[in-house]
Amino acid sequence: MKNKAYLGIDIGSISTKAVIIDDNNNILTSEYIYTNADPINAVKTLISKLKNKFDYNSYKIVSIGTTGSARKLIGKMLGATIIKNEITAHAIGTINMHPDVKTILEIGGQDSKIILIDNKVISDYAMNTLCAAGTGAFLTSQAKRLNINIDDFGLIALRSKRPIKIAARCTVFAESDLIHKAQIGYKKEDIAYGLCKSIVNNYLNNVAKGKKILTPIVFQGGVSKNIGVIKAFEEELKQEIIVDDIGHLMGAYGIAIMSKKYEDDLKFSFNINEFKFETKVSECNKCTNNCEIVNIYKNKILVDRWGNRCENGLK
Amino acid sequence: MDNKITIGIPRSLLYYKYNTLWLTFFNELGIDTLVSPETNYEILENGKKNTVSEACLSLKIFIGHVNYLKDKVDYILVPRIVSLENEMKLCTNFSALYDIVKNTFKVNVISYNVDVDKGISEQDAFIKMGQELGFGKELILNAYKVSKKEEYKQRKINYLLQRKKLNRERTKVLLVSHGYNSNDNLVGKIITDNLKKYDVEVIYADIINPDNREKLYKNISKRLYWTYNQELLNSIEEYKDYVDGIVYLSTLPCGPDSLVNEMCIRKVNKKNITIYMDELSSTEMIQTRLESFIDIIKKDDIYE
Amino acid sequence: MNRKVISFPTLSDYNTPIKFILEKLTDYEVRPSKQITKDTLELGSKHSPEYACLPFKYTLGNYIESLEDGAGIILQAGGGCRFGYYYELQQQILTDLGYEFEFYSLTDNDVNGIRSIYNTFKKLNPHIKKIKYLYYLLLTFLMIYFMDKIDIYIRKNIGFEIHKGSFDRIKNSMLTKFSKTKGFIDLIKNYLYYKKRFINIPLDKPKNCIKIGIVGELYTSMQPHSTYFLERELANMNVEITRFTNVTFLLITKRFKEKYYLRKIKKYCKYTLGSDAMENIARAKILIDKGYDGIIHIKPFGCTPEIGGMKILENLCNDENMPLMFLTFDTNTSELGIKTRLEAFYDMLNMRRNNEK
Repeated sequence: MKNKAYLGIDIGSISTKAVIIDDNNNILTSEYIYTNADPINAVKTLISKLKNKFDYNSYKIVSIGTTGSARKLIGKMLGATIIKNEITAHAIGTINMHPDVKTILEIGGQDSKIILIDNKVISDYAMNTLCAAGTGAFLTSQAKRLNINIDDFGLIALRSKRPIKIAARCTVFAESDLIHKAQIGYKKEDIAYGLCKSIVNNYLNNVAKGKKILTPIVFQGGVSKNIGVIKAFEEELKQEIIVDDIGHLMGAYGIAIMSKKYEDDLKFSFNINEFKFETKVSECNKCTNNCEIVNIYKNKILVDRWGNRCENGLK
Repeated sequence: MDNKITIGIPRSLLYYKYNTLWLTFFNELGIDTLVSPETNYEILENGKKNTVSEACLSLKIFIGHVNYLKDKVDYILVPRIVSLENEMKLCTNFSALYDIVKNTFKVNVISYNVDVDKGISEQDAFIKMGQELGFGKELILNAYKVSKKEEYKQRKINYLLQRKKLNRERTKVLLVSHGYNSNDNLVGKIITDNLKKYDVEVIYADIINPDNREKLYKNISKRLYWTYNQELLNSIEEYKDYVDGIVYLSTLPCGPDSLVNEMCIRKVNKKNITIYMDELSSTEMIQTRLESFIDIIKKDDIYE
Repeated sequence: MNRKVISFPTLSDYNTPIKFILEKLTDYEVRPSKQITKDTLELGSKHSPEYACLPFKYTLGNYIESLEDGAGIILQAGGGCRFGYYYELQQQILTDLGYEFEFYSLTDNDVNGIRSIYNTFKKLNPHIKKIKYLYYLLLTFLMIYFMDKIDIYIRKNIGFEIHKGSFDRIKNSMLTKFSKTKGFIDLIKNYLYYKKRFINIPLDKPKNCIKIGIVGELYTSMQPHSTYFLERELANMNVEITRFTNVTFLLITKRFKEKYYLRKIKKYCKYTLGSDAMENIARAKILIDKGYDGIIHIKPFGCTPEIGGMKILENLCNDENMPLMFLTFDTNTSELGIKTRLEAFYDMLNMRRNNEK
């Protein structure tokens, strides 16, 4: 008899992550790739990569959970047993990894959020409301502008002795301010660290405003890979920040754990590449709401559709 | 009175409207006052820290000034003004200011509550405030009257000085903005300093003729019910033929300005530029925009 | 005969009573603006000042769609705060766009509700008799009052219907009946009949279901499109919902409740804060006292009065250990983002519940 295994996938705007765990929440294998604005193909690639690493002679996948911004699409495509938002998934994953965590700071591609944990339960959370300033996407685009490889960004920022002040409440303002500062001839590292600081300030002033940040603090999301931002957080909060190697996998890990409750007799196959998935968006036109209906086709056969606000849409 | 008290006055928002009235009034009653300094980055930072992020920049600056004063004085003056005339209103921030401050800091607040629409005049409000400070009605009324006279005098002088500027042979720009913006060190001063650098005369729309009873604003907007915006529109009508261009300046997000300025742009035929100020708007960017605007209005001079 | 078409910005189910009274009191053909779609908001935003509040953009979009659809007369609601100024600027914008139309404001700056509504109807139809006006006004008020009462019941229970769509079906049937109201007795009879039908809808409702209260700005509260059907999303998660703002409140009860509300939160507010901001804090207190699990505060971007109340609301909820979520709606608010937040909020409330046990 094979052992049970549980698959969690987190499909974000920038990267797609997968984790397979066993009954004791140990990570059996994991994978991480860029989404490149094409979640379907990203997941296909992801799963074929997992196929090469996964020991399917000893384990059998009995549940699948999806989370992240494309959670529904991919969930329907894979026949997931649970589809959940990334806030809850992140919290559950982190609580399992760091049972005493009190604060989770998360800065991802498009979103940033703060989750407060009290006695292993989410007690409060907040997400960025309006603009993308201070998220991963912003940092990536600015790195490109400064001609810095995003992976080196943090190291370069650490060299800074006099970080510059950058107006960063809004992406548009920040960008023009940045261009201007670069034109005047500020040092690259000072601009880079200035950006890290502005991201942290923006986060603390907008997302985390009014929230009590208690230790232990865990920092996650794509931006947590940037040591410049970590340093800026530590300077600003005057507290130690925990960043673990698998922080970026926490959403996938959390949803995998949550999926354990929804075990099913799955017909999951790693040979997903053999199927052709397509999504088509159509306007319903059956009533005045004109809902946008998302249709998913597997090998040209409609497998699911959603987006309707009333029953008409499904007819 | 044995225990002499000091009242702190935030140099922000209504201060720019009522500084003479307030300072004379408290002086007449023998109360010491402390006005916070010109807005600086520290004040702005503390304002940002202590307000919700969606609040407008002007309110953030105000809260920063209260923060500056909070450990230095016995009371802080935070009036609540809903309406100054029948069927007229101010921005709702002025209704909420008192409670916002009370919910932000543990401070003693001295306040007066004006709501003419509901029958509470400024004079009634001042009497009540004076009584709370332990003074008799007659004394208060006298102080109020003296202060009102002083206020009128000051406003008239400011107005006449501004009228004088109109005849100077220079490029002139009308700055349409609330007094608390146009005079603030980190908001309007950035604009006016730049304009002056280019040898442009700045006419302030918030300097008004205290004797004006004409409803000139109706030429632009008949149903306007925000008092302070009405005053600005009156000024536009009074000054527009003397100036070469108009700068509309507001802080983000401003409820009344967001609609009224659009109305002005549509109805007033004058070269104009709109500048929004946010927490840390880049001064370089504003400079560039102002420079090109000045080029445009000066060019006209050459060709006309 | 080609009758002139009168239009007004669509406001969910309230279209029925508004259409009813206009048909009774004027000779025009009454055509509410089209249901809101993405195009409506896009159209409205394109012609609105960038920092105008969201209802301005929605209603401007409504007007343009109605005018394109042949309307010659537009009726708008007016009201307090910035709403009162919409009329003049929207008229200017539409005129600048080249539309020719008559434009009326129902409450004219909210000076005196009933009298100004009468004055507006007088302009729409000079031959109107005061007694006829009063009769239909009262009848319409009563219709709205009944609708609001029923809605309160629906919000509490729609998340638990056994047969999906039961509430919607009966409600649509009720609105159709209401639109053909013949008089007071007819209306009351219909109301009682439908009330019974609603109460008889089979439910599967656990005694201790999650309860969420919604407070906030009035347009986002009453126009489900503007919040991507927030209430419906919550109901689908099996949540009992309470929301206070409705037309009955705005037209009638608001003025009587001010003192009561202020008393409720005298620890936090000495004065009203403009629009319904103080009221919303008091409502949060009511929800806390009733043992609700969470509060969601909604508003359009840049809504000055509600922003003014945020800090105070936050203090209240912190003191009472009450989960509170702020949602701001803007032209570029993502529907998915809202869903994610709602889902996470629900999960959080659920976890807190389980933890208490």
